[in-house]
Amino acid sequence: MKIEFILNNEPQTIDVHPARRLLDILREDFKLTSVKEGCGEGECGACVVLMNGKAVNSCLVPAGNIVGKSIVTLESFKETKRYQMIESCFLEAGSVQCGFCTPGIVMATESLLSENPHPTDKEIKEALSGNLCRCTGYNMIFKGIHLAAERGQGLW
Amino acid sequence: MKDSISKPIQRVDGPAKISGEAKYLDDMHFENRLYAKTLRSERAKARIKSIRRPELPDGFFIVDKNDVPGVNRMRTVVSDHPIFAEDSVEYIGQPILLVVGPERETIYDILTHIVIDYEDIEPLVTLEDAEAKSTVFTDYHYDKGNPAKAFAEAATIIEDEFRTGYQEHVYLEPQGMAAEYRDGTMFVYGSMQCPFYAEGALTEALSWDAKQIRVIQTVTGGAFGGKEEFPSLTACQVAVASLKTKRPVILIYDRDEDIICSTKRHPSIVRYKAALNEENDVIALDIDALLDAGAYNGLSPVVLQRAIFSATGVYNFPHLNVRGRNFMTNKVPSGAYRGFGAPQTIFGTEMLMHNIAEKLDLDPLNYKMRHMLKRGDATCTGGQIRDIVKLPEIIDKVIAMSDYRKKYKSGEKYSGVGISLFLHGCGFTGNGEQMIKGKIILKKSGETVILKVSSTEMGQGAETVLRKIVAYSLDISLEQVKYESVDTGLIPDSGPTVASRTTMIVGGLLRQASLELKDRWDAAEDVEVSKSYKHPDFLEWDNDTFKGDAYPVYSWGANVVEVAIDPVTYEIDVKKIWAVYDVGMPIDETTLIGQMQGGIAQGIGWATIEVMETDHGRLLQKNLTDYKVPTSMDAPPIDCEFISQPYEFGPFGAKCAGELPFVGAPPAAAAAVSHALKIPITSIPLTPENLMEMDSHEN
Amino acid sequence: MVDGFRPKTLQEALEIRLKTDCLPIAGGTDLMVQKARGFALKPDFDKPLLFIGHLPELNKISIEKDQIHIGAGVLLTDLLNSDKIPEIFKEAVCLMASPPSRNLASVGGNICNASPAGDTLPHLYAVDTQLVLKSAKGERKVPIDQFITGPKRTDLVKDELLTKIIIPNRIFGVNYYRKVGQRKGMSLTKAAFQGMADIEQGKLTDVRIAFGSVAPTIVRSREIEKTMIGKSVEEIKEEIPEILAKYAPLIRPIDDARSSAAYRKKVCLRLLEDFLRKMSKEK
Repeated sequence: MKIEFILNNEPQTIDVHPARRLLDILREDFKLTSVKEGCGEGECGACVVLMNGKAVNSCLVPAGNIVGKSIVTLESFKETKRYQMIESCFLEAGSVQCGFCTPGIVMATESLLSENPHPTDKEIKEALSGNLCRCTGYNMIFKGIHLAAERGQGLW
Repeated sequence: MKDSISKPIQRVDGPAKISGEAKYLDDMHFENRLYAKTLRSERAKARIKSIRRPELPDGFFIVDKNDVPGVNRMRTVVSDHPIFAEDSVEYIGQPILLVVGPERETIYDILTHIVIDYEDIEPLVTLEDAEAKSTVFTDYHYDKGNPAKAFAEAATIIEDEFRTGYQEHVYLEPQGMAAEYRDGTMFVYGSMQCPFYAEGALTEALSWDAKQIRVIQTVTGGAFGGKEEFPSLTACQVAVASLKTKRPVILIYDRDEDIICSTKRHPSIVRYKAALNEENDVIALDIDALLDAGAYNGLSPVVLQRAIFSATGVYNFPHLNVRGRNFMTNKVPSGAYRGFGAPQTIFGTEMLMHNIAEKLDLDPLNYKMRHMLKRGDATCTGGQIRDIVKLPEIIDKVIAMSDYRKKYKSGEKYSGVGISLFLHGCGFTGNGEQMIKGKIILKKSGETVILKVSSTEMGQGAETVLRKIVAYSLDISLEQVKYESVDTGLIPDSGPTVASRTTMIVGGLLRQASLELKDRWDAAEDVEVSKSYKHPDFLEWDNDTFKGDAYPVYSWGANVVEVAIDPVTYEIDVKKIWAVYDVGMPIDETTLIGQMQGGIAQGIGWATIEVMETDHGRLLQKNLTDYKVPTSMDAPPIDCEFISQPYEFGPFGAKCAGELPFVGAPPAAAAAVSHALKIPITSIPLTPENLMEMDSHEN
Repeated sequence: MVDGFRPKTLQEALEIRLKTDCLPIAGGTDLMVQKARGFALKPDFDKPLLFIGHLPELNKISIEKDQIHIGAGVLLTDLLNSDKIPEIFKEAVCLMASPPSRNLASVGGNICNASPAGDTLPHLYAVDTQLVLKSAKGERKVPIDQFITGPKRTDLVKDELLTKIIIPNRIFGVNYYRKVGQRKGMSLTKAAFQGMADIEQGKLTDVRIAFGSVAPTIVRSREIEKTMIGKSVEEIKEEIPEILAKYAPLIRPIDDARSSAAYRKKVCLRLLEDFLRKMSKEK
């Protein structure tokens, strides 16, 4: 099936089986390895990317559903000022250990803050509830996001 | 004046991981690579009568026991696990062969067309059955004092039995290894904790000299012990495949495959008999620890050792009779997992003391404190507590932080608070460190110092902490300190990244080497300093009788957990956790707190929501839909503080830290639930199902 | 053979559905998991896919007098963000899966998947939801408890698509929803309870009770509800043991990897009792 979509702000046209997972299109066809496969069943969040600005599990998205959509991964998001703020706050707060969950968490954070620039602690927890982290126990991730929201006046 | 070494710095691997640029195994490119996928046993115990293979298309291979040039066994403490199954299979998930080829769809297709003719044999599937049939892999025993006399003269004897279940690591990055045979050398890449363990396993499987093998750790997305010995198996399989196909071979596990067949925490049954004197002090313990080792023994003997050497927790019992046995069952092999046997016995001992106190209508904390170890006391194996034990201060602090006393007295049903006291022995058990003889090298070239160790960064912050120790000791910037790639061709064997030994032992050697290098800093040429582990000569250990210093030193802790139990559904809400630890000296406070919080979260998961059951040897929870680890919604707030008793032989006084936080959380949670429902707790996980049933029986 | 169709309009979709044996897919959060084959492999569907999630006709929420019309393709996230959707329904939706999955999953998909543990279902059963099914040949309306015929089984005819979900535009006076999951977030349901009621001058004028995940389909009994209507809250309180006894045989859960039948049954009856006690405190 011919699929036209926007990937990291550039229009793309591919011809793939309509059930091919967005995760594999990104990792294998476009070599965007920031997107990770942790479980393949939508239960870990390591594969989270933005689709039209909202966090989605790319392992659950068939190619047929990305037509006309805008997909953003860390490879382009990392060039933004919002990313710089998230990165510096995560480093200060100790939000990263093994790093495998981190790209999904960064994208989930962007999805949250772009919709809700001043989230409460409860809203941060809920927004992150689709991203597993086995290393940190989450509190230092909440702290990083909280700092980014606090210091990111005008960014979101 | 310099900042304290505890002052946090930015972790060195942070930016690459946050930006998504860090390359894990599956992100790497291997020219001309083939994929591999494993065919696994579907029977818990069976003889393989025949294997019918379909016709293989060009470029596709099957790799099995016949392709192993050397010994078809994974080398570890007990090398009993076949690299590829031979005539029989002993657990569901046991690897039988690999299908290797350039394209995954075809590999999948070939796998589904391989037909195995099994002759079923009745499997042994529960620890109770294994005990009845006495399928004992390892049987250890030690004693202290005169337990027989103590029991004979006891005023009261109390018995109890405790059970703990499986735990799966759920490192976010699934297991994976790749092998490439080129220029006469077998290069093996992968997500692992112990490259030299893999190297050793490969020398035997290939029957090659270590010089022809290079094992290179790739960025590792979590491990927790699950990538300690298990990767050696995959390493041997891909290396054999690469040798046969003459191309690089990469094998990445599916998540449910990983859950089904990779090593797990040993389920346990621990039985106690306590002899109490007239004053109701426990003066003797008879402990019988049973661990479910699964189908192969592997490194279970060492887990069993730590389980029995930790079995008396923070307490001083003058008389002991301690036995530990590993049993064979036809289930997935159990292996290393953060805590390594200590969580099972410390859970038992903490709940034993708690339950005895409740039976005697005494305050559990006061009762525990009556028995605490002090400096100068003998350890359970007759070694010595040589350093000041900061437990009294630790307890005072955690009580103040949590308001434990007041909350304990309030006694409202469905609200509870519990406290645990615990320790962790630092470094390898017994004479392990002497056997490893870890070595490090520091090389100065111009203004740069290269640190060569086999310690692996897996998220715990090892690279940051070790570089910091060197930079701080030499009084140079962190940027001047480089960490050599963890490649067995480039680094000495500093020992495996396990047993909470990295900061204390490897960091200790780096500190010594740095101080020596400092004196030679102004030399014109490059300077290389190497240091090998030397066991402090005041320590004594007899590995035959298990007498002496099982560990050189201990780290200590206390946790308070507060819970609320839903009176309708019995779901547990862990409201907050307070933790105070003595780890000697924090080398980086942010990194350390990250370890403490992460360890507590895993401990709470094991105690409450991580349910893993088997039925006739088959795992019932085999994907992330059914096996639940804590999410952000389940994360309790944690207040964590440190009280330090520096260790003379640790870098800047540092002791061990990585496993300690796991050990303390489960018994504190169980004590809190016990307090909330006013029922004794003797097993985990504490599911709503179990609690509802227990509460209805008591009332 | 064509692997998939991406029609531009609902009419086009229905025409394809008439001519071809195909699998309708909206968000895909159930189907992509059901047919998953492992690491880096695409799911294996044995029929061509008919993509319908993007169809504009399926994505609206509107108030039509005393009804709320919800397009079958409306995402769970959009239900949460809509001010037209009753709060009590949102309580169930916000506990489903996780935010990234709710950004993909459709309410129609949850209904057509017809899992005994479907999380939108207890509420939809309780409010007598009507489903609109369209084909190229016409349209029919079916009550939800007749549409779902068993675990993962529906009355959907081969040429039909679920297009609309119609619920009443009303708020009940007493609202109670509980999902008992495996943990607090991203969890399947062990047992779910939905209870709603209206009380006027101390008497019960309407009551809806539904249980999820404890039988092949959602448990609801209009007969038992009828016996409660017209009674005073004091009478209801006194009759709690009888009411529990009436519901008990309808609750037939199983043991599985997530929970036990014994627990599921007990917890349902305890939740029902809690709801009845709460209700009996109202005026």
